[in-house]
Amino acid sequence: MDLTWTPEERAFREEVRAFVEAKLPANLRAKTFAHHRLKREDYVTWHRLLATQGWGAPSWPIEYGGTGWNPLQRLIFEIECFKAGAPRLLPFGLGMIGPVLMKYGSQAQKDRFLSRIITVEDWWCQGYSEPGSGSDLASLNTRAERVGDRYIINGQKTWTTLAHHADWMFCLARTDATAKAQRGISMILIDMKQPGVEVRPIKTLDGSAEVNEVWLENVEAPLENLIGEENAGWTYAKYLLGHERSGIAGIGHCHRELAILKSLAERMMASGESVSLNPRVRDSINRVEAQVLALEMMVLRVAADETTEPGPKASILKIRGSELQMELATLQMQVAGAESWPYDPEWMFAESAFHGPGPEYAAAAAAAYFDMRKTAIYGGTNEVQKGIIAKQIIGV
Amino acid sequence: MDFSYSEEQRMLTDSLRRLVADAWTRPKRRARLGGLDAGAWSSLVELGVGGLMVPEEFGGFGETPATMLAVHQELGRGLVSEPTISSAVMAVTLLGHCNNETLKKRWLSAHAEGDAVLALGWQEQGERDAQRPLCTRATAMADGYTLDGQKILVWHGAAANGVIVSALLEGEPALFMVEQGATGLSVEDFPTFDGGRAATLRFDRVSVGKDQLIAKGEQAQALLALAIDFGITALCAQACGAMAALTDSTIQYLKTRKQFGQPLAAFQVLQHRLGDMLIQSEMGLSMTYAATIGLAEQEPAKRARLVSMAKIEVAAAARFVGESAVQLHGGMGVTDEMEVGDFFKRLTYVDLLLGDTNYHLQRLQDLTV
Repeated sequence: MDLTWTPEERAFREEVRAFVEAKLPANLRAKTFAHHRLKREDYVTWHRLLATQGWGAPSWPIEYGGTGWNPLQRLIFEIECFKAGAPRLLPFGLGMIGPVLMKYGSQAQKDRFLSRIITVEDWWCQGYSEPGSGSDLASLNTRAERVGDRYIINGQKTWTTLAHHADWMFCLARTDATAKAQRGISMILIDMKQPGVEVRPIKTLDGSAEVNEVWLENVEAPLENLIGEENAGWTYAKYLLGHERSGIAGIGHCHRELAILKSLAERMMASGESVSLNPRVRDSINRVEAQVLALEMMVLRVAADETTEPGPKASILKIRGSELQMELATLQMQVAGAESWPYDPEWMFAESAFHGPGPEYAAAAAAAYFDMRKTAIYGGTNEVQKGIIAKQIIGV
Repeated sequence: MDFSYSEEQRMLTDSLRRLVADAWTRPKRRARLGGLDAGAWSSLVELGVGGLMVPEEFGGFGETPATMLAVHQELGRGLVSEPTISSAVMAVTLLGHCNNETLKKRWLSAHAEGDAVLALGWQEQGERDAQRPLCTRATAMADGYTLDGQKILVWHGAAANGVIVSALLEGEPALFMVEQGATGLSVEDFPTFDGGRAATLRFDRVSVGKDQLIAKGEQAQALLALAIDFGITALCAQACGAMAALTDSTIQYLKTRKQFGQPLAAFQVLQHRLGDMLIQSEMGLSMTYAATIGLAEQEPAKRARLVSMAKIEVAAAARFVGESAVQLHGGMGVTDEMEVGDFFKRLTYVDLLLGDTNYHLQRLQDLTV
């Protein structure tokens, strides 16, 4: 154990920092720091800038067009990008279906899809949750029926993040109605741009509509779009969720929000002085900063221990990561105080100038607070995660 | 940055874990209450605990803070109450970084060999948080110095062969070495709630030679602050070891104890509390890694910031894990019959010693102004 950054690691950090500084468009940076909601082209722009640099798939091996970086480099990259105000990388292709294709996909599937993920020529979405199947995902009801050379799929998916931009969905569907729960589920790739796919936005507490309901009515997928074997989809689904959880700590997000919190506290005025001078506020900020550092070390410890299964530690990352994202949003709202009360949805989407009475930088604090409640719910609720931890440590 | 243990670190921690599991069982620990047990201390020294932080030129191992973290986790697992922090980390670090070659030669190799135990006295009555001496005074004489005053809460003060004491010298803070048994030094030894010992030291015209001055002025303050920050990090590491061991034994208890026809471990509300204990333990350990990285910082303010953050967060985790373990043990948890109580008490002192949470929150505020 050697807890010092090597010269190579320091140099890598500088290289990433310099790149982001030079290449990240100023308007994107301004949008993320103001908590404006990002548009499709905002994400695509950033992904393609990275792809040009050869950094479009930071967590992928070189053979698939990735960087081949080690876990430490990936973490440094994530933190530096977020701190500088870069948009998050879309997880659906890079973090979810990409790794599944690499491990379980056919050669044809790899050839067809992987490189297009890096440049966002295909935008993916996740067809997992259903209205009656949230935490209990294995109870899902969407059916895929084999008819000749294709599957005919019928059902309803929900909470499908950014499905309104998506070209493709990786979908869990029941291919054997007689099998119980996990058995009888398959993973099928569905072209979203076909008749029978209907995407309806779900408006959430912050006024935005990033998540959707997706209706699938007699939607078709050729048999070659099946991942791995029929009825073995649960194995792939779990593999994917394992990937999702380790990335779900949101450590880069936490670092950026901590920086926003500090800057907000400096600028907000109360009782004639900066809120950052209030000793109670400063205690809160110092404590949350300590917890962000602890989370970062936790992410490092888990990432460095790649040889073994992350075990309960992946769930710990999910729980603490989401708790800290919520705490940071809460503190930002408290620091903004009543000046976070006015709310202008059009401004949030950068479609109008700001008209509120208070400073513009306080305007999104409450919306971000409402929005961040989702983090304890998605990717397996924190209560489900605690159940997973208990199961693993008790050994039942 | 490399989180995996080296071969040496693996061997060292394995040996310590075996030693502690064998010789720090509850009955053996209890039998040793009352003072420093020479056999117990020398078994720790034999495995390198005494010389761990002693520079190599003085016969020690000159180990890194990372190795200190690994070692003290094991000591915490076993609830070791010997002067592993006060002497082997704090006093040794202070002496190791000072410029007084005479004192280094006199004490450091003896410490590595197990022939000397040291203590550090800096707190005064009504001034438990002050790192500057206020009422203990040193007067320069022709052939040395005379010390007058009092130090409280000196960890293992009675067991120490030499005590490092802070005192005001011509209005400036200074650090002196005082040997046990010096004329005018009186030691009042008392037990502490965790099964350890501490002492009040009174100095009544205690004479020390010229070469017993360790440092003065800014340098003395910097050395004391460094020693305390190393001590806090070791304390956090021990807390992490204790939290891990206590979580393990609580799991075992819940698997064994049955109520309503099933093991307690089958109840979801208890499972979630166990999950929370593991989360707190792991986050505490992660925070301790951050403090350990901080110890290598050249800038004292950066080091202090990370160490204070760790102290606050680990203390909170320790309290949560200790209180939860008692609760999950039910009635047995509040008896003096079980190990859980010993762990609970040990985890409780993490907040109180070496600056409590209020002190460290204030230090963070002062550092960020």
